[in-house]
Amino acid sequence: MHTLSWAAWVTLVMSVALSTSNPLYLVVVLLCVCLVAALAPRTAQAVAGFRALALLGVGLLVISTGIAVVNGSYGEHELFTVPGPEVPDWLGGLSLGGPVAAEGLVAAVLRSLAILCVFLAFAVFNGAVSPSRILRSAPAALFHAGLVVTVGLALLPASVDDVRRIREMRALRGARTGVRDLPALLVPAVIGGLERSMRLAEAMEARGYAAAPATGRWPRLMGALSAPLFLAAAWVWFYYERYRAFAAVAALVGVVALVAWALLAARGRSTTRLRPEPLALSDRAGIALSIALTALTVVGKAAGWLDLSYNPFAGLEWPGFSPGGAAIALACAWPALLLLTAPAPGTEGDTEPLVPTPAVEA
Amino acid sequence: MSYSYPGGAAPALCDVDLDLQEGALTLLAGPSAGGKSTLLRLFNGLVPQFHGGRLAGSIEVAGLDPARTPARRMAAIAGMVFQEPEAQAIAETAEDEVAFGMEQAGVPPFEMHRRLDALFDLLGIGPLRHRRLSTLSGGERQRTALASVLALEPRLLLLDEPTSQLDSEGAEAVIAALTGLRDRGLAVLVAEHRLARLLPVADSVLAVEAGQVRALTPLAAAASLDAAPPVCHLGRLLGLDPVPVAVDEARRALAGREIPLRRPVPSPCTVGAPLLEACGLSVSYGAITALGGVDLTVREGEAVALVGANGSGKSTLFRAVAGLVSPSRGAVRLAGRPAASRVQDRTAVAGLVPQDPALALYRDTVRDEVAETRKLRHMEHASGAQLARWGLEALSARNPRDLSVGQQQRVAVAAMLAHEPRLWLMDEPTRGADHLARQWLATTVRQHVHAGGAAVVATHDFETAARFATRVIGLDQGRVVFDLPAARAFAADGPCATQIARLVPGALTMEDLS
Repeated sequence: MHTLSWAAWVTLVMSVALSTSNPLYLVVVLLCVCLVAALAPRTAQAVAGFRALALLGVGLLVISTGIAVVNGSYGEHELFTVPGPEVPDWLGGLSLGGPVAAEGLVAAVLRSLAILCVFLAFAVFNGAVSPSRILRSAPAALFHAGLVVTVGLALLPASVDDVRRIREMRALRGARTGVRDLPALLVPAVIGGLERSMRLAEAMEARGYAAAPATGRWPRLMGALSAPLFLAAAWVWFYYERYRAFAAVAALVGVVALVAWALLAARGRSTTRLRPEPLALSDRAGIALSIALTALTVVGKAAGWLDLSYNPFAGLEWPGFSPGGAAIALACAWPALLLLTAPAPGTEGDTEPLVPTPAVEA
Repeated sequence: MSYSYPGGAAPALCDVDLDLQEGALTLLAGPSAGGKSTLLRLFNGLVPQFHGGRLAGSIEVAGLDPARTPARRMAAIAGMVFQEPEAQAIAETAEDEVAFGMEQAGVPPFEMHRRLDALFDLLGIGPLRHRRLSTLSGGERQRTALASVLALEPRLLLLDEPTSQLDSEGAEAVIAALTGLRDRGLAVLVAEHRLARLLPVADSVLAVEAGQVRALTPLAAAASLDAAPPVCHLGRLLGLDPVPVAVDEARRALAGREIPLRRPVPSPCTVGAPLLEACGLSVSYGAITALGGVDLTVREGEAVALVGANGSGKSTLFRAVAGLVSPSRGAVRLAGRPAASRVQDRTAVAGLVPQDPALALYRDTVRDEVAETRKLRHMEHASGAQLARWGLEALSARNPRDLSVGQQQRVAVAAMLAHEPRLWLMDEPTRGADHLARQWLATTVRQHVHAGGAAVVATHDFETAARFATRVIGLDQGRVVFDLPAARAFAADGPCATQIARLVPGALTMEDLS
């Protein structure tokens, strides 16, 4: 699958999961993401392991539910009461303990479920797309972002490794690891990480990865213009309902200015690709589907269509269900179709098996 | 020209005048922090464009001013290879890595394929083309880095200690590639500490020290530089003219000459009780056997040089002895008793200096850094005499981070061994060290061993090892392949022959000659 397809899919999962609070749809999205996760390829160079990210997501779910319990919650169906101290008023309405209602608990679980979906989708993305592929697919106008991302991605695993090595060195010097050791671990790790990223940035510059010859005044002006245009459009849209047409025009002009800036900035920096990654028909279809459904969910959420919203505080009724909403949730599994029918990237075109050998001597 | 780093008190380079020709290999020699790296970076504009600072004077590379030309343009004229292969990799596979610069420069795909074919062939790394970079050895990665720079067809090639992290085989391959490129008409500028391989092939030498640059012929460098390889020192001692730069040359010059040995040859130290006994030590990482049944006994008064290619299991052996990895089979005894299970207790007897120990430094002064180890071990504070032992008394109030790389390394070694363990385990302390640091290391290890301690030092540098080792152990693929006394290992027909041994029967280093 193409990098762009993965990006479109993550956007789709994110928008659906964050737009709906309907537990039926959320469960469907979660299952779809799990299905894709099971089928997706995993490169050796992922920033962090899929398992680690998935565990982190589940951990967040447990923690946020736990916080909801400790914080107490309001509702008709009281389940149990958590003993807690009285918190004085001047602490700004913070409460610890108190009655826990089913409604509050359900709301907390739904919120965390949505976050878990997004987290898992990013974990899949992280495993399926290698950092260097993202860098190459980045538009030329985003040169600085690409540099920062590459350096950052190289830095993270190296820093984890550094912390491990510094811990070992501390042990070799006779230290028993404890909380008081934290500065001794972190100070050298941060310094080492900064030095390492400087070296990589320097090496990239020496290889000619640098900004375009300075873009002209007009393109830069256009790029700068888009932000105030968007702000003005949003302002007018929400506060002056009579002039919404103007807001739409302003937003459109902003988009045009942004696109023009990106194109002009890219023109000064013509790059080529050794093996261009063609966007297959199936990829194009997937991207189009994702964009359409993303738009539909965002609009549907605002307009209250498709039973996307569910309010547990309205008496804990069984959530509504519409075939359209369920179809959108189910569509989050579209990469699974592609992955089942096509061989995964990385296996095609390689003449030799890519067997990673752990660095024994390092 | 002159240059100062931003915030630097003294200029990093002072009144430099030089002229580089195409088709010439120029060697940059000099102690660390003397200005070699800075000088290299002047030629592709990283100094001052990336690093900032003040520049005076003028510089021109192929008709362009690197201080003002955009990096993208300079990359096509002056290519640079850095010290650590890991720190310069951007892509995942060797082919993508080499193509990266060309993609950025907008080279058309058919031309990219042509250059890729030619380069992988030229550097002898064809079979690696589709491999992941993480699976390549150091020498292979460094040649890939060289290919990725050459892909832009630069006219000037700059290399910052390209072989310092490599074993002999990797270093040979990189240097062979460099001389090939020089013969094809490139201007090659190499900064390096170990001159034995480079001096014979260099066309000229720039001696860089404390910001001053002197241009020398290779012969003049051999006759005057302290960092010159032992064969040059031998030539100077015997008053040869010209001073030979390679062993073969020296052999011809010395034919039929009697060279007096120092009598008596220093006797090996008396060997005492065993400090380390490893028995059938095996370590596996997943499916890979890093150490396959190593038996090893090190006694008081022994200095063992542990040699072997990258990946042969030297670091793993140290880690297993120090308790950082648990062996799948075998046992370790320290000072005659079964080794404790905890790293802290094991290293009380067998202190380990890992690679890049300077990473662990974090205190504000050198004195505190040494005292830290003693405090962690519940020992009284370091006295002035203890700092003097490491040659650190003059630096005691300085911040370790402000010191030069060589000094930092010395502070780190002192910090890792400040609790005075009887057995020292040192993992490649000669990596990237200049001749002063290597000299210091040899002296320090020898003193420790003479005082009844023992040391095991992993190194690729036979010349330095010959100055302190009493015994040499060779590892290959996790097994001991030889275990010889120094006199046999470093001899002309031994596995680690030194330059002097190949010229003077019965001697190993300059110190054996009178």
